[in-house]
Amino acid sequence: MNKLLKSAGVGAAAMLLGLTAACGSGPNKSDQSASAASSGSAGSAAQASAPANGGKKIKLKFYDFHTEAEEKFFKSLVDEYNRTQDRVEIEYSTFNQGDYTTTKLPTAFASGEGPDIYMISPGDFMKFAKSGLMADLSPYFPEGAKEDFLPASLDAVTVDNKIMALPFELELLGLYYNEDMLKEANVAVPKTWDELYAAAKTLTKGKVAGLVLPPDKGPYFNFIWYPFLWQQGGSVLSEDGTKSAFNSPETAKALDFWGRFFREGLSPKKLQAGPWEIDHLGKKEAAMQIVGTWAINRAEEVFKDVPINVAPLPIPEGGQAATDAGGWKFAVNGKSANVEEAAKFVMWAFAGDPQRALKWCTEVKFAYSPRQSVVEAGKDIYSKGMRKVFTDEIYNSAIPEPRYPSEVLDVVGDAMQQVMYGKYDGAKAAAAADPLINDALQKASK
Amino acid sequence: MLAVKRLTLPTVGILLGLLMLFPIYTMAIGSLRSETHVFDFRLLPSEWEWSNFTTAWTQSHLPRAIVNSLFVSTVVTVVAMIFHAMSGYALARLRFPGRSLVFAWMLSTLMVPFSIIMLPLYLITKDLGLANSYLGLIVPSIFNAYGIFLFRQFYRDFPRELEEAAYIEGLSLAGTFFKIAFPLSVPIIVPLTIGFFLANWNSYLWPLIITQNEKLRVVQQELAHLVGGGYFTPWNIVLAAAVIAAMPTFILFFIAQRYLVEGIKMTGIK
Amino acid sequence: MTSRKTGSRARSEWLTAYGLLLPNMIGLLVFVFLPIAYAFYVSLFDWNALTPKSFAGWANYRELFGDAQWWQSVRRTLLFSVVYVPLLFMLSLLSALLLHAIRGRASGIVRTMFLMPFAITSIISAIIGMFMLDPRFGIVNALLERLGGGAQPFLASTSQALFSIIGVILWINIGYNMIIFLSAMKEIPADYYEAAAIDGARGFRAFWHITLPLLKETSTFILIVTTIGSFQSLDQILVMTQGGPMNSTEVSVLYIFKQAFELLNMGYASALSFVLFLIIFVLSLFQLRLLSSKK
Repeated sequence: MNKLLKSAGVGAAAMLLGLTAACGSGPNKSDQSASAASSGSAGSAAQASAPANGGKKIKLKFYDFHTEAEEKFFKSLVDEYNRTQDRVEIEYSTFNQGDYTTTKLPTAFASGEGPDIYMISPGDFMKFAKSGLMADLSPYFPEGAKEDFLPASLDAVTVDNKIMALPFELELLGLYYNEDMLKEANVAVPKTWDELYAAAKTLTKGKVAGLVLPPDKGPYFNFIWYPFLWQQGGSVLSEDGTKSAFNSPETAKALDFWGRFFREGLSPKKLQAGPWEIDHLGKKEAAMQIVGTWAINRAEEVFKDVPINVAPLPIPEGGQAATDAGGWKFAVNGKSANVEEAAKFVMWAFAGDPQRALKWCTEVKFAYSPRQSVVEAGKDIYSKGMRKVFTDEIYNSAIPEPRYPSEVLDVVGDAMQQVMYGKYDGAKAAAAADPLINDALQKASK
Repeated sequence: MLAVKRLTLPTVGILLGLLMLFPIYTMAIGSLRSETHVFDFRLLPSEWEWSNFTTAWTQSHLPRAIVNSLFVSTVVTVVAMIFHAMSGYALARLRFPGRSLVFAWMLSTLMVPFSIIMLPLYLITKDLGLANSYLGLIVPSIFNAYGIFLFRQFYRDFPRELEEAAYIEGLSLAGTFFKIAFPLSVPIIVPLTIGFFLANWNSYLWPLIITQNEKLRVVQQELAHLVGGGYFTPWNIVLAAAVIAAMPTFILFFIAQRYLVEGIKMTGIK
Repeated sequence: MTSRKTGSRARSEWLTAYGLLLPNMIGLLVFVFLPIAYAFYVSLFDWNALTPKSFAGWANYRELFGDAQWWQSVRRTLLFSVVYVPLLFMLSLLSALLLHAIRGRASGIVRTMFLMPFAITSIISAIIGMFMLDPRFGIVNALLERLGGGAQPFLASTSQALFSIIGVILWINIGYNMIIFLSAMKEIPADYYEAAAIDGARGFRAFWHITLPLLKETSTFILIVTTIGSFQSLDQILVMTQGGPMNSTEVSVLYIFKQAFELLNMGYASALSFVLFLIIFVLSLFQLRLLSSKK
């Protein structure tokens, strides 16, 4: 045994020697081959998908992440498109959200297996745009379609006057609550921060959580928190997006408010289902939850026996209503050999016939369309039940989710957790995060 | 008094053993409960929901993932057995310059944890064009020094007479290995096969990194996906899926525990 | 004549030998050694895997030295090892002693019971851990409350999460190491103990003076293998906490994983990999020296 270990030690030392030798002689030659390989891999996805275009159909890969119902919609959409024309054939694959946003999409591009058409989140937007993985879609909009979109929704996807992606949904946040629980506890629907805190405190009983908020770091974590910052006029970055504006009393206050729910046990630090699922209310494990428009359909279909309702997000004293308008975007791989065909499909799907877009935003899930004609066409639906609350009371306060790079998201998430777990108070966390955000911006812009 | 003493240790042993088994019991019993009662503080469910298993089977990609894992684990194990036996035999029975150096060099790889090299390994495998394929799952998993080391130990005690007989029969050195030594290696191949199969059935991180295609997903990925994938899977279904995924290892465990124990012993001694 | 014949036989012997060794030598070279060299090479570049690399010299290493989050993750990894390795060592040694002392039929049953968690994969152990340790509904807290203790946050606590994960990993690994100890104990001849008993050494003293010294080689093996293994416990962490809460379970390999596959900082992550490799390398050599010099 000892012998074995000794010889392993000798081998290890030899290995280190060999290693340095390999490194000493390596770089130049492998430099060329490696960069050749990497530039080759970027184009190979495109090449592989266009097999010697001799009258054959062009194959386009389309990746997204979605739930089952949503997957069905996209499948039928792809099927319809494949049936109605004979130039291209779209191959659709879908992933779960956790894998898609973190590892799948980036590693697919890095492996040269990237899709021609894909969905992109605000957090990854800039990185992909800068790496040339998003084609400029401006030339492909059908006549008059651009004017149909809300200007703010196109601004959110425009870089250097190029429209890098197509927005197709606006998901707004609201405060969902269980009417019976509030009534029983004699609590009015909270309208201010103080009322929200008091209500959560009264409603937290045994295994029932007062207010469900996302506890784990990630883009969704930040997404839910931003409105608290915006309601006071605060912001993560300066107006031009080049510097941190995080070290402000507004940030400190928003962080403290957020952290208090967790520190005092009114919001669970560990959830049984994703924080974006309405199931917490549906299973009566919580009295209130901040979640988006997408939850309405599930609340109505799966939990119709539970009296769930929704209200605008509570605001602080002297604050202004604000909510987050999230939503993913359709992008076309700028390195694809078939940008034009890919863009045509994207436009066909969400910039053409309003009925297709309407079906997505109303039947499959509930969201707002960034297109005025679609909202107009679905007027009746947008005023049904909880949707009316969103349409009448929340829609106007929507601010598009910012496209901060993921390095910045990470620092903001850390600051939120530091306050949640009592390491710092809001002011200290904001001050500590400020230089880190500037560092992150610098790193991300490299 | 003596009788009491003789019973104490077994009793302590069994009580501690039950403690070790308790989490497995919790999983098994939770997989049979309904969604609302899954956390019940009771030893037996109030109602037995066998349908959890059909739900887990039909509502996930588990069937496909199990086939993938079976395929990948089997291929890796079979190829590894042959390659490792070849190296072990050469190191144990043949004289050649650099033998101890090669052996030490191979052993030193035991000191390189996989997670340290996962990133460059990913980059290399990708450059070899193996990303997102069965080959990418299989090839890098084949090589490790454990098997080589244990085969070498085994062949060191191999009877010399057999080799001499083979030489007189006119077999080449390679022929001696393939026709005589390898077929007689069952006592080492069986425990190693079990060990390798289990290790590859367990594999999670490498498949997670190297495959993007949903169709290539392996069992552990599918389980991790069910519990943390972002969409809500009820606990009773997650547990049922875990029980299904644990079945092959448990079956292997019960029919081959003796060999498993043999295999573990061999890694420890000498 | 004879010497030429033996000469050609010797040549054919080493040709055969290298022929048999070739697949593994290539495999280990390409999939173990090359990655380490490649990590070093990539670490000299700025690269997001989507656009071509640009040479950055030692910039990644300079950045690494000032990266507080990285060094925190290294400290966390060391804490993990310092807690996990001795615990695993002692618990499996104690279980082996217990099993060694049990005679008759019960011995086989107890052995099976202790070994069974070994058949649980890392992901399944993580699932069971999350299920049992849930702060609001989990059975462990239900038990604690019934016994009069307070409910614990476990994975939702910055101070308890890492230890909860260590507990889960211990659970599936004790049986394996116990068997290794046990088989080593079984090889100690009974007359050693008989002789010691005549000198009046029984029980603990016999263990201390006979069993433990004779287990030295086995112990060395277990210590080294477990220490190296403790640097790569990523499966459970990825499933149970993803490094949270407040990064309290973000060990070095997880930090590398995130830098590489989430932020796509391939060059930087490679530098981190290479530095971690050096750390482990030095630690292993140190451990080897320490354990083999004590003879």
